[in-house]
Amino acid sequence: MPFGHLLIEGLAMGACYGLFGLAVVIIYKTSEVVNFAAGDMAMFSTFVAFHVLAVYGYPFWIAFVMSLVFAGLLGVFVEFFFLRPAKNPTILGLIVITIGAQLLLAGVASWKWGAEQQAFSIPFSYQVTYEIIPGLVISQWALAVFIISAVIMAFLYFFFKHTKMGTAMRATQQNKHAAKIMGIRTNRVFAFAWALSSVIGATAATLMSAKTILDPQFMMEPFLRAFAAAVLGGLMSIPGVLIGGGIMGLIENFFGYAWPAWKPITAFVVIVLVLCIRPSGLFGKHYVKKV
Amino acid sequence: MDLKKTVLTLLVPLFVLFLFTGNGHARGERGFDDNEIRIGQWGPQTGPAAPWGAVARGSKLVFDMVNDEGGIHGRQIRYFIRDDQYNPSQTMAAVRELVSRRGVFAFVGGVGTAPGLAVQNFLRQNEIIWVGVCSGAAAFHDNPWLWNIWPAYFDEGSILAKHAVENEGFEKIALLYQNDDWGLDAMAGIKARLELHGLELLTAVPVEPIERDLSSQVARLQASGAEAVIGIMAPTQAAISLRTAVSMGYQPQWLHSYNLCDFDLMNHITEGLWAREGVITAAFTESPYADTPQMIRYREAREKFAPEERWGMNYLAGIVVAEPLVWALREVGPELSTAAVRDALNSVTEFQEAGPVLTWTADDHRPPRSLRIWQCGPNGEYNVVQDWIENELVYEK
Amino acid sequence: MGIKRTYYEDIELFSSGTILFWTIVLLIALFGAPFFLSGYHLYLFSIIMVHVIVAVGLNILVGNTGQIALGHAGFFAIGAYGTVLLMTMLNLPFFAALIAAAFIAAFFGFILGLPALRLEGPYLAIATLAFGLAIMHIIGHTQIFGGRQGLAAPMLDIGIPQLGWSWMLFTETSLYYLILIITILMVLLAVNILKTRAGRAFVAIRDSEIAAEVIGINLTYYKTLAFAVSAFYAGIAGGLFAFVLGFFDPFTFNLILSVIFLVMVVVGGLGSVMGSVTGAALITYLMYDLFKNVNEVPVLGDLILHVSRNWLSAVGSMDNFNMIALGLVMIGIIIFEPLGIFGLWIRIKKYWKTWPF
Repeated sequence: MPFGHLLIEGLAMGACYGLFGLAVVIIYKTSEVVNFAAGDMAMFSTFVAFHVLAVYGYPFWIAFVMSLVFAGLLGVFVEFFFLRPAKNPTILGLIVITIGAQLLLAGVASWKWGAEQQAFSIPFSYQVTYEIIPGLVISQWALAVFIISAVIMAFLYFFFKHTKMGTAMRATQQNKHAAKIMGIRTNRVFAFAWALSSVIGATAATLMSAKTILDPQFMMEPFLRAFAAAVLGGLMSIPGVLIGGGIMGLIENFFGYAWPAWKPITAFVVIVLVLCIRPSGLFGKHYVKKV
Repeated sequence: MDLKKTVLTLLVPLFVLFLFTGNGHARGERGFDDNEIRIGQWGPQTGPAAPWGAVARGSKLVFDMVNDEGGIHGRQIRYFIRDDQYNPSQTMAAVRELVSRRGVFAFVGGVGTAPGLAVQNFLRQNEIIWVGVCSGAAAFHDNPWLWNIWPAYFDEGSILAKHAVENEGFEKIALLYQNDDWGLDAMAGIKARLELHGLELLTAVPVEPIERDLSSQVARLQASGAEAVIGIMAPTQAAISLRTAVSMGYQPQWLHSYNLCDFDLMNHITEGLWAREGVITAAFTESPYADTPQMIRYREAREKFAPEERWGMNYLAGIVVAEPLVWALREVGPELSTAAVRDALNSVTEFQEAGPVLTWTADDHRPPRSLRIWQCGPNGEYNVVQDWIENELVYEK
Repeated sequence: MGIKRTYYEDIELFSSGTILFWTIVLLIALFGAPFFLSGYHLYLFSIIMVHVIVAVGLNILVGNTGQIALGHAGFFAIGAYGTVLLMTMLNLPFFAALIAAAFIAAFFGFILGLPALRLEGPYLAIATLAFGLAIMHIIGHTQIFGGRQGLAAPMLDIGIPQLGWSWMLFTETSLYYLILIITILMVLLAVNILKTRAGRAFVAIRDSEIAAEVIGINLTYYKTLAFAVSAFYAGIAGGLFAFVLGFFDPFTFNLILSVIFLVMVVVGGLGSVMGSVTGAALITYLMYDLFKNVNEVPVLGDLILHVSRNWLSAVGSMDNFNMIALGLVMIGIIIFEPLGIFGLWIRIKKYWKTWPF
């Protein structure tokens, strides 16, 4: 068994899932809505980068920054035009709105860029490899994934602990009405959460597209896995999500190596088993309802 | 009951009526009149399988060319494309709509095994001509109202294995396959061929068409030590597995299905690896850049009628499935009828335009059993390594 | 809507003469439909009715009991495969096979209900989603289920051929009537279930689990019951779907279908049976018909083609308009009225009742 390879690849893919899971978690943390449009929002932003790169011919970093800006605006747009106008919404109603947004974005993207697969390369190539210790080869792409997820996690940690906005977001999560009374404009907090989530999602999607293929469907499967990773990690804890993603990637790669036919569902089965024992995920605190 | 309630409650049935009285009932039983012949095709234009949608649009090119020349015996071809999202229940809806509301005369093509199987019985019972389903599944081969063009997946597997063993001299062969009729039929073909040479598949690794992370599958192939890997899967998975393999330093000879003989696309999405690795594929058409008069005519027509379309193999496949029907319609003459076209299609012998050599008789509508082998050249050329090899093995299920 | 003064008013099937009248009109229209509709429309109606059964069942779970479920395509698949396999392999008559398959689905529903005792919200969503994926995958990898190649339904015989009494349904029209009758029965059953002890227990669990437990509702029993009932509905619908389509493969029952089922219930209006019926009809109609071939619609088609040519790419992608329209309708309905179509109905009714004030 090529242990080292499976380990590195599993961790790298898992970090992508975890990173993308963060996008799901940030929105869930503020408004208890699972954003089913997260995958397609990220896909759309990646296509914007692709468009800038392929049609206008700008260098990668400009395209990437533009796609991140676009992702932020897209997040605000979805929140402002689709979620905010809903009066007295139920959580399920909001989820259906995000499903509608997902269909909308998928439709527009494949209308604009066509259904055919595209290649999208980033400066971190999967073909350039380094052998750190004998038998453990790591590609430039995997290295970039590790570094970027570590940076984003550190940033989020700092952000939620030490900035005004981060504190406001935590307050809004705990009690929306109390936060309002304390002078927090919760609407802005929601819009900001959507923008932040969308930007992180776009980063993850850009990394993933370089490993796989860019087409309007390319984030559907990763979204499911990211959502599952977030649930495994406990939905509330940010390091938990990355660890959940890592576990997910490792399970998929090791079980997938041993029983390739069952690769697509092993991770989900493991997650259900974990949830049977720990109903709020590995790192979530079990929330006890008070009467 | 008061007025308000009445008005309100009237709205609901009115709304329902409005919804379902759309385009009226143009029940054309015969599917044609003095001015037009109606022909339909389904294919995924949206959803995960949408890249195959170019097939349905490729057929349009042939009909546009026919219409441009003044139609067939004074009749223009009216062509309907329906999007089924590769979902059998949508295919059924599309086909019924075309049959019962538009009254189509014939269907051409139609991407996919499951969508095709879903409508096969309906079309057969209604005795509607159907030429060239885009699937090599054996379940289509004994339908008297379907004329097959796409080579059987069993033959494909057998011929790819034959080429790998006899011409390339490989003995260690592994398989990476999509787990459906396509992959399983091809696997049967490969096994039958290898058995003939006293060889065995080193390993056969399944892939789901939705998977995007194939590193564990490729690691398994690498661990088996195969020198050649036969791939039976969609372009996306083929590209991902090739890229993954290269990044692992694993460089076997890849042999792929005829569904992946679009070297332009594959080179694009593998960033040139397809050419660098010299991937071999099966094929059943002319090369898209061949200099035969036929292909030159098609390329010119494409620039005229559909300049926005990419000149790819899926598009060409659409052309291939439309050709025999156009030939048969011309052959029949002005006295058009379903029975006459059926007889004309049954009399097709050694017919070849852009596709394979076709021969059908009244009780044999099976596809040709020959394939060509192409190899991607260093600059993405379509090099013919071997022309038309026939598979002589028989599929025993 | 309206104050119920007595128990009998509450359990009445038709709360007013108007509703009774229009229900009868609708039934006459549905029974008369085959005489003036094309084969395509009969097929579309059949699909709609199959989806109605699933949505009504799912509503019992999602709308009335307050659980989330993203795996109903799995129960739907169990119904379809179960019915066909029991008929072809064990040689059971159609109705026996259909009901047995639905009970198998209900059993799986009960199993899935067990983790639901501890899980809620997104955790339950992932658990049910995993169930749906697992069913699809297991069927795809098991050759006796036909594998990924799919399975063809046999000829539909609703008699008991084993006893020499055969009643073949050859035409689409007879299949349509069969589905229509079963749909009506299932909808009536759902309306009645909600008015029984169990139905009220479901609602109590939705509103507050703790309060429900305090007043003596057995949570374990009723939660798993809700899952089982809703899976039973999906199983019946799946069995009928198998014959509407005649052929199906595991990918037909994918996650998207599960999500669409949930959307039907929410768009229709959580907790309302008629809402689920209209929601299923609307979403199915949008998916299968409306704007499906937008380029052939007179004015709109040209407009869209123009937009497409100038700003988007026109290479066969105009069909995406159907998906975009579906998304916009979903968003629009929920933004306008969180209770979905049922809420819209109540609003219109209120408006007219109090008009002009």
